[in-house]
Amino acid sequence: MKSSSTSDLLSRFAALVGPGHALVEEADKARYLVEWRDLYRGETPLVLRPANTAEVAAILRLAHETRTAIVPQGGNTGLVGGQVPIPGQHEIVVSLERLDKVRSIDPLGNSMIVEAGMPLASVHAAAEAADRMFPLTLASLGSCQIGGNIATNAGGTAVLAYGNARNLVLGLEVVLADGRIWNGLRQLGKDNAGYDLKQLFIGSEGTLGIITAAALRLRHRPRGVAAAFVSVGSPAAALGLFARAQAAAGFGLTGFELMSGLAMEFALRHIPGARLPTAPAPWYVLIEVSSSLSGSEADATVLDILTGATAAGEALEAAVAQSFTQIDDFWRLRHGMSEVQKHEGGSIKHDVSVPIGDLPAFLEEAMAAVEAAFPGCRPVPFGHMGDGNIHFNVSQPVGGDRQAFLARWNEMNAVVHGVVRKYDGSVAAEHGIGRLKVDLLAEVKPPLDLELMGRLKAAFDPLGILNPGRVIRRP
Amino acid sequence: MKILVPVKRVVDYNVNIRVKADGSGVDLANVKMSMNPFDEISVEEALRLREAGIASEVVAVSIGPKEAQETVRTALAMGADRGIVLEAEGTVEPLAVAKLLKAIVAEEAPGLVILGKQAIDDDCNQTGQMLSALLGWPQGTFASKLVLGDNGIEVTREVDGGLQTVRLSLPAVVTADLRLNEPRYASLPNIMKAKKKPIDLRPAAQYGVDLTPRLMVLKTAEPPVRPAGRRLASVAELVDCLKTEAGVL
Repeated sequence: MKSSSTSDLLSRFAALVGPGHALVEEADKARYLVEWRDLYRGETPLVLRPANTAEVAAILRLAHETRTAIVPQGGNTGLVGGQVPIPGQHEIVVSLERLDKVRSIDPLGNSMIVEAGMPLASVHAAAEAADRMFPLTLASLGSCQIGGNIATNAGGTAVLAYGNARNLVLGLEVVLADGRIWNGLRQLGKDNAGYDLKQLFIGSEGTLGIITAAALRLRHRPRGVAAAFVSVGSPAAALGLFARAQAAAGFGLTGFELMSGLAMEFALRHIPGARLPTAPAPWYVLIEVSSSLSGSEADATVLDILTGATAAGEALEAAVAQSFTQIDDFWRLRHGMSEVQKHEGGSIKHDVSVPIGDLPAFLEEAMAAVEAAFPGCRPVPFGHMGDGNIHFNVSQPVGGDRQAFLARWNEMNAVVHGVVRKYDGSVAAEHGIGRLKVDLLAEVKPPLDLELMGRLKAAFDPLGILNPGRVIRRP
Repeated sequence: MKILVPVKRVVDYNVNIRVKADGSGVDLANVKMSMNPFDEISVEEALRLREAGIASEVVAVSIGPKEAQETVRTALAMGADRGIVLEAEGTVEPLAVAKLLKAIVAEEAPGLVILGKQAIDDDCNQTGQMLSALLGWPQGTFASKLVLGDNGIEVTREVDGGLQTVRLSLPAVVTADLRLNEPRYASLPNIMKAKKKPIDLRPAAQYGVDLTPRLMVLKTAEPPVRPAGRRLASVAELVDCLKTEAGVL
């Protein structure tokens, strides 16, 4: 964008959305420019809040014509900086928050069409009102938006039973880089008529198009849910417990989360009213089982798992929830786990996955490696053991200097990712690449992968105006 | 001393309840039912008194459908010694419950009855008080602390604007408030033990208490939807709104 024509251009963009929805004042723009991990501070001349798909299309037409970079933004809960406009780049933020309506819902067909800016919690509520559920569940449920969830192929705690966002999308409506609207809002269980184009946009992090609506796959709500909080001696014991839980519950195993003892200590210290449901132990597991039949069937399955696991020495101790309140208590400990790390000084994050069977070995090696390289640092791994996905976060030494610790972010990453790659794991399991891991991706991906990704980007966004510099490097 | 703990089976606190289409009540089909949260607190308090050597036995009693056995089983899984269920279909109002509990007290001769201060389904907050009156026993309601001594029991009560401490002679009736304690989770061994503990299931009708409701529900309605907030451009606009729309200035 040339600075001489800047104000002209901004006025042209502003005219495309309703009055009050083109934000230029710093105070109005502020909430679009910060993200909660505080790794990035954004800068933008303009935040646009279009009301509908047509307005998004008009914005992209103009952006295409004037080669203006656009940063699409949902609930601004991304953890890798993809949604934050880069200072000095004059990127315009397009917030989808006003596209927040349910277009249609078909309980018998188990599908629902919603607009991209609907908060995930509202999607849940709409499905529930039709006696169905939309399974995707993340800690940021109340703020994140479905469009962003799909654009980042979000994971979360229900992946084990229901899959990532990708598995829950039947169709998409996408505004392309040149402003044309691609209507892929189909609700078909099977559709092999040519390339499955929607898949390209899922997980593209806003670099190939802007998702404006989605046809979502709904599920019947389980009639019964049971949960147990289990203390275990080691990740290896947890792995045995996982195999046992899968065997007993089958598709009804809807949650299996691993939490380290130190991660739990942080949670107990900083979550108001939090209590440990068992005696202190080196590791903990949260098991959730759902039943399409009844609560008592779910309860019986959980007891069967725990009885066997106790006899086999996999479980040290277990508490079984007697009410939804207690199930929530257990999940609150798990969901609060990222947040509480803020209170323990600097924290260096790794969102990694390895084959599930290698998880115990990975954890042992990675913890030993970071402790050796960064004496006094406090690894607090936790996450979706059932998906082989661990948030391998490392907190600074007690009493150490926050900035000095965070300055060694890349060094720490190199140590952890080295162990990840040894096990042929992923260095970006569910949070994506954004800006944070662009260089890392370029380093770990084979050249052919990068070439194919570059060709896709060039095909969908030849001028490079959509979220430039995210996922892959600028050409 | 024996402690009697009445427990009620209610819609789980975390369920989003829905009103039946005809407004006759709340839809309970396929809805999770759990122990009334205030009753969990009274079970916990009774267990602590037993663990402190003050009580010798904790008996959980429930009045309701056959499924109320599950609720009593939860009390047993927390650690209560045995259970009683008086089977009765439909709504049983607090007065009838209090009369049935009085009959159970006559059989069991407890030194203390600890109830939840109210049930979260009908929010009546009457049963404990009625039981106390029917028995002619002293009552300590809304308890946030219990201290048993030689001269009876000291009950710290949560009253408007502060705390009040009363001393009751035993036997007595106490109702538990939220801050009395934090109920324990049921551990696996205790759940397995609870399966073997006895629950005595009897028809409520055998006590000759008239269970017919005396109240008629005229209508059940959802609370009005709270309109979303909106952002105003200026203080002048706000003042205008407060005058014209809200009518508070």
